[in-house]
Amino acid sequence: MTSAIISIDKELCTGCGQCREICPVDAISGTPDTPHEIDEAVCILCGQCVQICSGYDSPHDTFTTSRAERLERRGMLQTVQEPLFAAHYRGDIHRVIEALQKPDTFTIVQCAPAIRVAIGEEFGMSYGTLTPGKLSSALHALGFDRVYDTNFAADVTIMEEGSELIKRIKENGTLPMFTSCCPGWVKYMEDQHSDMLEHLSSCKSPQQMAGTLFKTYGAKIDKLDPSKIFSLAVMPCTCKKFEAERPEMNASGYQDVDLVITTRELAQLIKHFGIDFPALGDEDFDNPLGCYSGAGNIFGTTGGVMEAALRSACEILTGTPLPHLELEYVRGNEGVRKATINHEGVELNVAIVAGLQYVDGVLEQIRNGEADFHFIEVMCCPMGCVSGGGQPKVLLPVQRLEAHTGRKAGLYSHDESLAIRKSHENPQIKKLYKDFLGEPLGHEAHHLLHTDHSQNRRAL
Amino acid sequence: MNAFIVGDAELCIGCQACMVACARAHEELPAKDLNDQEIPFHSRIAVVNVPEVTVAIQCRQCEDSPCARSCPVEAIVQKDNHIEVIKEKCIGCKSCVLACPFGAIKVVEDKTESSGIFMNTSADTGQSRVEKSHFVVDKCDLCADSGAPACVAICPAKALYFVNPEAIQQKVEDRRKQNAGRIRQYRSRLTCA
Repeated sequence: MTSAIISIDKELCTGCGQCREICPVDAISGTPDTPHEIDEAVCILCGQCVQICSGYDSPHDTFTTSRAERLERRGMLQTVQEPLFAAHYRGDIHRVIEALQKPDTFTIVQCAPAIRVAIGEEFGMSYGTLTPGKLSSALHALGFDRVYDTNFAADVTIMEEGSELIKRIKENGTLPMFTSCCPGWVKYMEDQHSDMLEHLSSCKSPQQMAGTLFKTYGAKIDKLDPSKIFSLAVMPCTCKKFEAERPEMNASGYQDVDLVITTRELAQLIKHFGIDFPALGDEDFDNPLGCYSGAGNIFGTTGGVMEAALRSACEILTGTPLPHLELEYVRGNEGVRKATINHEGVELNVAIVAGLQYVDGVLEQIRNGEADFHFIEVMCCPMGCVSGGGQPKVLLPVQRLEAHTGRKAGLYSHDESLAIRKSHENPQIKKLYKDFLGEPLGHEAHHLLHTDHSQNRRAL
Repeated sequence: MNAFIVGDAELCIGCQACMVACARAHEELPAKDLNDQEIPFHSRIAVVNVPEVTVAIQCRQCEDSPCARSCPVEAIVQKDNHIEVIKEKCIGCKSCVLACPFGAIKVVEDKTESSGIFMNTSADTGQSRVEKSHFVVDKCDLCADSGAPACVAICPAKALYFVNPEAIQQKVEDRRKQNAGRIRQYRSRLTCA
């Protein structure tokens, strides 16, 4: 089995160069018609190469490696039927099955927002079909003891990140502050721009906040020994596998998130166990750590973290809620979007970057003192997590826009249909702070939910 | 005259996107995902990527089709502007596969039908009778049902051409005129001499 998270299968790579072109950090090199290579030191593990790759194990050709062997090497199930492309990621599904079968293991699963608008595609549903209920049902059917949700932790992230932003503004801290939810972006900052790590929010990503809370607060609620918990995250992202394995991500006393699988891997698991996904009924996520607001849900699209943060931060800063919750001015698909928010005398300059290839210009402006932003959201992938490397592969590039737009629309419509649309109004968030964490940025929150990015400064 | 698709070896980058698009365009069951167990992922176009050349190879829709002439059950016929396999008639004899000078025909599993042929499984395994898959041959049909060939549309290098009879006719006329011009110059030099 390959240990690298993203790799290119030399036997299948045709050397067409499409991955080299799409890579936002120029980590892929190779000459035409010869297998390409990934420079692991530069790669941010976003998986866009996996999405674009069209070289596969076609039946027109014969290969020295058998399909069974290739599946084995990639950590995939032998029941997987799909064509195997050259650019691929490490599969981790066997460890999920192992954990589910261990009798004394308490299994907890979380799903990122972008999963519920994409997994249906793997079962013939149209792009962006919203299926949170079926997703929860499928996970219960697979035998997870608790089906919690990353969206809950996204709400926690807003509480922490929003408070951090307010604190930085009030106390003349380092500005602009960058979001830190996207692990590829954080890795890129560490690898290439470590002089600017102070600009990154100290918040862990929602995946990691969830992982820590499951093994602390969650364990307390269920009166569990955290060492018996197996915590799985289902992510639209390949870099989340890397994030979960970071040595410092153990605030609970254990590895906070034990394993990460992608949207596609979850679909393969559901098929492997013969679950008829489209026929499933709707079940809720489990309480309390599966309860979420619309704000947490839109984290899965570009501009979503910004919108969720503004919904809470503007209200907390001024005491007056925003007149409209749909912040159209932060929505969109452009690589860089800028906006100024005026609310009850508070003026905030924000920017949103979608696609890491667009971030260098913004960083340069900040270095030169030409940017007066307070808060900047950065996501590696073209439309945020909905277009992540672990999402269902859109086979024809002409359908990419349709797929991503559909998934994005699914997230926004879910937000609109939810009763609670601001993170700070989520009752389970209030309870979490009251019963367990204390105040946002408080001692316990700081210990569990924040990280010191500067420890990971890499030599330039 | 038949239309056909031809690859340009100078431009082809060997990405196989045409193959993926072809497989997608010919899914006969409702279009589902990549991992659907019921849908065979068959491409009728094949990219050849060898040290000397990189180019896509597919059916040339030959006018005097060796495949059709070799078919014992008349399962390969002329239809509109191309040569088509009538799947229902095909017996999977592979005569056409041998006859095709381009290697453009392939035997594939057809999951829409059952073969009615049972495999002789060994008695000691205790397995029940297993039905053999149904096989037919498959070749480029110019995406006749959907209008435009999917491979030509997808090619990121613009290395595939859809050549229709009108284009051939135009090309022939243009070449003839070009050549006539050259002959005229030649003639005039002759008279001068």
